Formats: sequence, C-alpha cells, structure tokens
Amino acid sequence: MIVRNVCTRQSRQLLAFNRPTRIVNRFFSTEPSADTAVQTPLAEQASHQESSVRPTESPQSGMRSTAHQAFVEKQIQKNRYLGLGSQVKDAYLPEALYRNPPRPHHISLELLLANQTHLGHSTSRWNPQNSSYIFGIRDGIHIISLDATAAYLRRAAKVVEEVSYRAGLILFVGTRPGQKRAVVRAAELAGAYHVFERWIPGSLTNGQQILGHCETMVVNPFDEELPQYKETLVDRPSLKPDLVICLNPIENEVLLHECGLNNIPTIGVIDTDANPTSVTYPIPSNDDSLRATALIAGILGRAAEAGRDRRMEQAKNKKLTFPPPSDGDLVPDAAKESVDDAAATQASISQVMAPESPAAEAPAAETASTEASTATAPAAEALTEAAAAAAEAPSDKQPSDTPSQDRQ
Amino acid sequence: MGKYNLTALRVGRSAVQQHMAGKTGVLPNWVKTVAEIPPAQALVRNQPQEQQLVRQRVKTLPGSSKPQVVFEVQEKRRKTKKPSRMFQPAAIRYEEDQLRKEFFRDHPWELARPRILVETTGNDHSHYDWSRLQQPGKKLDGESVVQRQLWLLNNVPDLSKSAAYDMARREFYRLRLQEDIERRVAAEEAQATGATFGPSILEIGMELENKQYNRWKEWATAAAQMAGSRGSGMSDSPDAQGPEELLAADAPSAEEITPAN
Repeated sequence: MIVRNVCTRQSRQLLAFNRPTRIVNRFFSTEPSADTAVQTPLAEQASHQESSVRPTESPQSGMRSTAHQAFVEKQIQKNRYLGLGSQVKDAYLPEALYRNPPRPHHISLELLLANQTHLGHSTSRWNPQNSSYIFGIRDGIHIISLDATAAYLRRAAKVVEEVSYRAGLILFVGTRPGQKRAVVRAAELAGAYHVFERWIPGSLTNGQQILGHCETMVVNPFDEELPQYKETLVDRPSLKPDLVICLNPIENEVLLHECGLNNIPTIGVIDTDANPTSVTYPIPSNDDSLRATALIAGILGRAAEAGRDRRMEQAKNKKLTFPPPSDGDLVPDAAKESVDDAAATQASISQVMAPESPAAEAPAAETASTEASTATAPAAEALTEAAAAAAEAPSDKQPSDTPSQDRQ
Repeated sequence: MGKYNLTALRVGRSAVQQHMAGKTGVLPNWVKTVAEIPPAQALVRNQPQEQQLVRQRVKTLPGSSKPQVVFEVQEKRRKTKKPSRMFQPAAIRYEEDQLRKEFFRDHPWELARPRILVETTGNDHSHYDWSRLQQPGKKLDGESVVQRQLWLLNNVPDLSKSAAYDMARREFYRLRLQEDIERRVAAEEAQATGATFGPSILEIGMELENKQYNRWKEWATAAAQMAGSRGSGMSDSPDAQGPEELLAADAPSAEEITPAN
C-alpha cells in the first residue's frame, strides 16, 4: 500500500534489475508471498513486479483497494483541514542538539538531567574508582551525580577552549554506532578533526607508517592554507593532536594508551564502569545514551569554537596566541619565493589524508598544522594535528618512543 | 607502576620534565593550559551519607484544636553496614516509592499503557500542581495518582494513607471514564461530519489470512483431484472416502472465516 509506494520511489534501480525484486516483496508487500503449486513461478514474478510498480492498478485484491481508498480519503481530509488546529510549543526537538548545540554557559542540572547524563550502569558492573561521582543507587543502577557532571564538564570545556585559543589540534573520537553525527558536528564547530569509525592502533606510536602518506599544509593565523610551503613539508614527521576528546573510552583503550605514551592530554566520558584514570580530564556521565554524548560533544565543540573565535580576534589585531616558528624552520619553496605574499608571515601546516587513499574512506582524516613563517619573518612552529582515521608517527626527536619505554 | 596507571593525569608534568631533560625540543602549546586548569583529584572515595526519609503530615495534636504541620523523620536503621560496604553508594529512596508500588500492584495494566519518557527541559515537574489530578502537558496515568495521593497526605489534615489512596483513586477512575466517553463522542462526531476510518489492523490481518485460506483451498482441491484420479485405478475399496469429502470435512470454508464487516 503506502509503504510500497515509498519503496518504489526510492529503489528504482532495484526494479530495473532483470530479476524479481525480492527485497521489496519480502519486506513491503501486503500480498502473501508463499509459493504454491497453483501458480507458476513466472506468473508470480510478473504479477509481483507489476504490482510493485503500479500498486493502484492491480485489481486482484479487494483488501488493498479498500485500504488504498481509505488512505486516499484520509489524505484528502488531512489536506482539507491542514491550516486548523493548535500549535505545539516547547516540544522536544531531537535535531536541536546537532543543529544548535548548547554553549558551556548553558550547562545546568536540568539540561543534564533531561539529556540522561545521570544514568549509570547496573550496580554489579561498577568501577569503584568512580565512587566519588556516584550519587546513589536507584532501581539497580548507579545514578551519576549531576553536580559532578556539571563541574567536570565545565572544567573540560575550559580546557578545550584554551587549547583551541592556543591553536592546538583537537581530535574528537566517538566510535560507537550513532555517534558519528555528534562527533562530526563538534569537529565542524571547532575547526577540529574527528574519528567516528575504528581507531587504527599505532596511528600515534607508528604514525610514519600509517599516516606517512597523508598530506600536510601550512596555514596562516587565519587558518587559511599557504600553498607555497607544500614541498618543504614532504619529509616532516606526521603530526600529533594536542588534545583528544573521546566519547567512549571503554572501546578506545588503545587510543588512550597511545595518548599516554605520547604525552597527549585527553578528555573522556566516564560511565560508572569505566576507568577514570585512563583520561586526563574525566567527565562522569552516561556514555550509552546518544543524547547524552551528543550534548557533551556539542558543548565541547562550542567551547572550542569560542576559543577559535578569540584566536581569530587576536589575529586581526596582529597578535599571535602561540609561539611563532623558529628561524629557518619553514622555508617556502624556492620557485614560489618571489610570489610569496609578504603579509603572510605566519603559517601552519596541516596534514590532510589524500582522498584516494584507502584510509580516507574510513571516517578518519588527519591533519596537522604547524605554525611557520616565511623566510623573511622570524620563524616559529606550533604543531597541531588531528587524525580522522589515524594519527602521527613517532617523530625524529623522539627515537625512543616505544610503548615500554615511554610508560611512566 | 603498580595498581594504578596515572600517566594520563600527569601529562603536564611529564611534558615539562621531558622538555627539561632535552627529550622534546619544543614545549607543547597546551602545557600552560594544563598547568592553569589541572586535572581534578582522582580516586577519592567519600563515605556516602545515608538518606533520611522525612514525611510531612498535617495533624491535630492531642492538646490543640487546630491541625498543624508535623515532620516525621524515619528512624535510621540500627544494623550497621559491613566495613567492606562502607564506601558503596547508598540507595536513593522517596516516600512515594511505597505508594507507587501499591498502586501498580492493584492496577498492573496501567503499566501497559504507552508513556512518554522523554524530558524536554528537565524542569517539567515545576509546572505541576498536585492539588488537582490533571496537569497541563501530562497524560493522566498511574504516576498522577501517586503524586496526588502524596499531596493529599502532605496537605490534608488527619488523613490516613488508605483514605488518601481512595480519594486519589476515585478521581482517577472518574477521569478515565470521562476520557472514554470523550473518545467515543469524538469518533461519532467525526464520522457524522464525514470522517472515514480505514480498515483496522485486525481487519487487514483477517483479510490476509482469508486470502491464504482460499489459496490453500484452491491448491488442495487440485491436489486432491489429482490424487483421486491417480488412486482410483489402484484401489477401489468401498469404505475409502473420496478426497473431496475429506477436504470438505477438514477445511473450514472461506465464508465461515470471513468476519462480519
């Protein structure tokens, strides 16, 4: 009936195949699909295909025509009175968390409660290290203290804002199904990077192998690319993020371990069964509710956005919020030197995964940025990196960067 | 390293140390931030406070004629916790838990009604006034009765729990009846003004089932005829019933199954 109409519209290519449209028939047909000896298979196929293309014209079922008639009448009735009725106000809009996430100063206990951040796990699954975040036991689950969530979330938002202000590379990681949108949106707000599928182990500790083929770019203080530095970046080590935000630390133990080895601060959503010492800044909250994680990702994304806005403001006043690149660190390509814009004194490098690389199909894209100056200006460097699918290789400066040695 | 791995909590310190030792060339940008906003204390455990249930009642005390508000504190339990459970979180309890339990024990099918669990603002409770049973924006359900009963207990003088339960329940039943009548009248009005309600889910299901029966009947008749024509040459025992008779005895006819629409 109705369903078949929708299906036909959206899957024309299925119907175009030279075979019976099995999928359509199995899930959307109101016809009994059993094969009996009465009808020959050919006749059956033909009738099915025909009926799925033109649902209103098949006369064989009185039932469908009744239902279809009823549907048509209902639509007519609905259109006739479309302008009437009440208007719904203050309704719950699930999209709002993605389209317009709240800002850090909007954090309130009511907001957190409505977004289900207080629901923990079954009491038998708790990690006793979390006992200071737990408010009590209700119906067999631990209830996370909203006070603790609000305080830790504000602190984390402050850290994100400051790191973003200092042009740090921020990486949002949320690898559970359904977290993709929140993670991408937060990264979009923050001008940061994201991973929403699997974290490739070794992206930080073995980055030269895994991310070596990724492209890098130099950007100016306004985050615009400076193409004249392309060639100088070829043999640079891959970059590492300055801050990693992980929405599901339990599944991303490897990522957090690598961050520990590489001395990268991390922010993580810690449910009652997670280990709070695995991240630098824990946010005690429910990590199983998409609404809760979307809220947290949105707030942190907004915080990073605020930091970036402040940085742009400073850049307009010709002030740098990060140390400039050291002398001679970044030299523009010789061929393009004469074309160089003298105004672009600062630049940063970003790595972007080549789109045709297999890793780019994974949701990860990696970027790193290095602040640099042209040859005429005092050079400085600020390394930032974000990896969508991966991270950086051990740099030449850290030859001893092996897991066993770096652990502290 | 031992039991705990505190690497993540010490990133700032180790970054500075590595820089001082010459392991890393440039101090990362975030070091100042982490120094300004250090990570919170980890692994602290506090002894949870046992919650006390406080009941508010309006009572006429023996000496006075006017009722006054009395707060009764539930006694702490005598039995002490085992030392190993000292730092475990305490249970969260409210007075209405018992009321809720009793209501749903008496009305188990109230639990089968659909309910909206989504919170919009987290502040919905502040719009409710339980001096009446119906609330704007909230569907009438078992929870309304529980809250209404609690309000009665807290505010009406000298009311016992069962009396409050009966009052709340009576209001609830009356409103439910009213809802039924409203629903029926609305359907009648709609039909009178030209609305049509399509076949219900049950009717559609019955029609599908009938169609299957008819298909089967068609097939079975053909199969029985074939079997009959084949078997007639083999055996001609006079007792054997023909396939048509067997079919007629076993299969209900489609007309019998069709519901009266």
